Amino acid sequence: MSRRVVITGAGTVNPLASTLDAFASSLLEGKCGVRALTVIDPSGLPVRIGGEVRDFDARQYLDKKDRKSLKLMVRTHQLAVAAARLARDHAGLSVDAIDPERFGTSLGSGTVSADLADLGPASRASFDFHTGRVCFDKWGRDGLSLIPPMWMLNHVPNMAACHVAIVNDCRGPNNTITLTDESGLSALGEAYRIVRRGRADAMLAGGAETRINPISLARNVKFGHLVAANDDPARACRPFDRDRTGIALGEGSTVLVLESLDHANRRGARPLAEVCAFGCGMDVGCKGAGLARVIRDTLNKAGIRATELDHVNANAGGWVDHDAWEARALREAIGDVPVVAYKGALSNLGSAAGPTELIASVLALQIGRLAATLNCDKIAADCPVNVVRAPRPVTKPFVLKISGTDRGQCAAILVRRWKD
Amino acid sequence: MRRRVVITGIGVITPLGDSVDSLFRSQVEGKSGVGPLTYFSAATFPTTFGAEVPNFDLSRYVADASPWHDAGLASQFAAAAARMAIEDAGLFDGAVDRTRFGVYLGTGEGTQVFDTLIDMVASSYQPATRKLDDAIMSQRGIARYELGREYEQELHTPAAHLGDLFNLEGPNFACLTACAAGTQALGEALEIIRDNDADLMLAGGSHSMIHPLGLTGFNLLTALSTRNGDPQKASRPFDNKRDGFVLGEGAGLLVLEELTHARKRGARIYAELTGYGATSDAFRVTDCHPEGRGAIACMRIAVADAGIRPEQVGYINAHGTSTRNNDQVETLAIKAVFGDHAYRLPISSSKSMLGHLIGAAGAVELVIAIEAMRKGIIPPTINYEFPDPACDLDYVPNVAREVRVDHALSNSFGFGGQNASLVVSRFKG
Repeated sequence: MSRRVVITGAGTVNPLASTLDAFASSLLEGKCGVRALTVIDPSGLPVRIGGEVRDFDARQYLDKKDRKSLKLMVRTHQLAVAAARLARDHAGLSVDAIDPERFGTSLGSGTVSADLADLGPASRASFDFHTGRVCFDKWGRDGLSLIPPMWMLNHVPNMAACHVAIVNDCRGPNNTITLTDESGLSALGEAYRIVRRGRADAMLAGGAETRINPISLARNVKFGHLVAANDDPARACRPFDRDRTGIALGEGSTVLVLESLDHANRRGARPLAEVCAFGCGMDVGCKGAGLARVIRDTLNKAGIRATELDHVNANAGGWVDHDAWEARALREAIGDVPVVAYKGALSNLGSAAGPTELIASVLALQIGRLAATLNCDKIAADCPVNVVRAPRPVTKPFVLKISGTDRGQCAAILVRRWKD
Repeated sequence: MRRRVVITGIGVITPLGDSVDSLFRSQVEGKSGVGPLTYFSAATFPTTFGAEVPNFDLSRYVADASPWHDAGLASQFAAAAARMAIEDAGLFDGAVDRTRFGVYLGTGEGTQVFDTLIDMVASSYQPATRKLDDAIMSQRGIARYELGREYEQELHTPAAHLGDLFNLEGPNFACLTACAAGTQALGEALEIIRDNDADLMLAGGSHSMIHPLGLTGFNLLTALSTRNGDPQKASRPFDNKRDGFVLGEGAGLLVLEELTHARKRGARIYAELTGYGATSDAFRVTDCHPEGRGAIACMRIAVADAGIRPEQVGYINAHGTSTRNNDQVETLAIKAVFGDHAYRLPISSSKSMLGHLIGAAGAVELVIAIEAMRKGIIPPTINYEFPDPACDLDYVPNVAREVRVDHALSNSFGFGGQNASLVVSRFKG
């Protein structure tokens, strides 16, 4: 008999807010977290907007004994540790409230492309500006000793989950999913499965990433899918909109406490919502039928019909091809069910996107009011979905959250409003 | 009743062969795949050798290698191993439901174009402030980046290629847990089939860190052997003169299949995958827990998951990296889990010959454990010459041994404290 799994806590550090209350109200007020970049100097880039977490200071999220670890945490890892701390506090999951061996971690993460200054002296000592190549003899002889010994541990994506596990004494399963925009939702899905089958009583699960750095930005400029509306960032990301021209990159982290209902009951924790099903797959060639199947399978697992959904929380962020792919699938799988997309307000948070957007819907279920999709002024002809374009009351108990990659890897999580 | 999962296809790309037979033969013969590094000039690095996959050419394995033109070695190794595994399982043209066939790939970070990255850093570094000038760095990136190469750095691409290549529409996952990734991918894929979310999973690991940044990173951590004068003697797990691991590369992909599904189509069954455990040390990112806390729990969970008693485990394919710390702590942990049985239990490290395939290690080592069970021959730990009082178990030193094994355990313990163990069992119907 598999166990029921509930969300008992959430923490988020994102371009709109660093508390749940502020996040919910910002979305309802139609605020936009996409702004001119300040965390880095964007003057060398054609795209100078994004969703950044301003004034982030990891120290406020760490106990004094853990702060010495900060030198081994790049920004991605710090964001993860901060969100995990918030989630744990929100869940009231104190150290003595759980067996550490039954407490795990599952995070989505991506390439650590920021914080490369540590390579500066070695690079200058060994790069030949005339040939444009590194002189390996110099790198090995002179360069290596100029790099901090722990450098690599700061630059592998899985260290976010390791730091979260160390700070929170999570000795259970520990995994890092690396599926770019789908990472966070798939990490949640895996954590859900782990708790459901009884391998852990609770998991800190979600995602963390920063794409606000020269490497991520320059790369995505090459990919050609960034929106270039530097003068009007608040209107730049336009999910499902006729005038959408691309996505903006962002950063952040959202971590949830997924817990077995029994465990939550035993310690008297009140769930925020129940996770009812997870489905995933690959829509080879991004035709739409594959994603539609994943959506249907996920609903079937919970035994509900699309009409029981209050809304679907979509992956869309203004990406020309990608939004159309998702819309085709949604049309096929759920018809006229309302669809909301929050990348207009948040930008694309990469591995943090799915969990952050999911929490927006969980908060809506709690508050009873759903925030609108920002910047979907005229629904595009190739996006035939019923986009929520103004705030409205929540009327039904279920929400489906979708994430996907540009290659067609996709995932869906179904949650239900909690009622005692 | 829990769904049972069997292994019906295997593909490997390793420093010692690109077939199960050639890999296992070299393991039994005690051959070393270690030699001087050839990919780049490592002459002034503390370590100048490794275990490279010799003469790899993806077009020998797939009909059309062009989709991997810009891909890194790990992605190409994965494609080659996957192609062999699918064919080996008889699924290349097989009429199975593609929506019930998924991918779970343990892998690493992309291999950034080293010259480009260092150009960006060198051009933008400001010694006075010790910071990078973002504007210069961005401009150098835009000037040098090649679209295809950069796109292939995105971490979802290797698993996506596999989905595309074989039209696999089931769950598609990629995970990165350092040295545990391949084992963890197989374990989670096992759970996906048990959970009835798929009938078939192409799962395992693929990785190459034999690139300048990989060698730099591990050398800085002083994790690698520096026995440059005698590379083939460098990987010496559990030996008292061990001084670090040897960097290897490769891939191991396995077809995991639900038992009734395999039976229905008359598939050849290698073994049953019966147990999986995953834990975290939650101790330090730099060191494993000194008493092996996470490793002990991990092995215990895997053995219990297999529904067997510890005494029934007949062989351990150890993580056995040849670092001072790992081999000692792994020994300690094995004793804690197996008690007196630990001293009667043959343990060997494939890394003594293959080096450390990092994210691919666990998958390739599971294949070796399966073959040891099938053939009744346990490959040795080579280079074992000087006993370490702290490592006093039976490591099958230097010479292969005929032993009947019904259950084998394979361990992988990663940097950062991520642990994963698998149990494979003789298939008994």
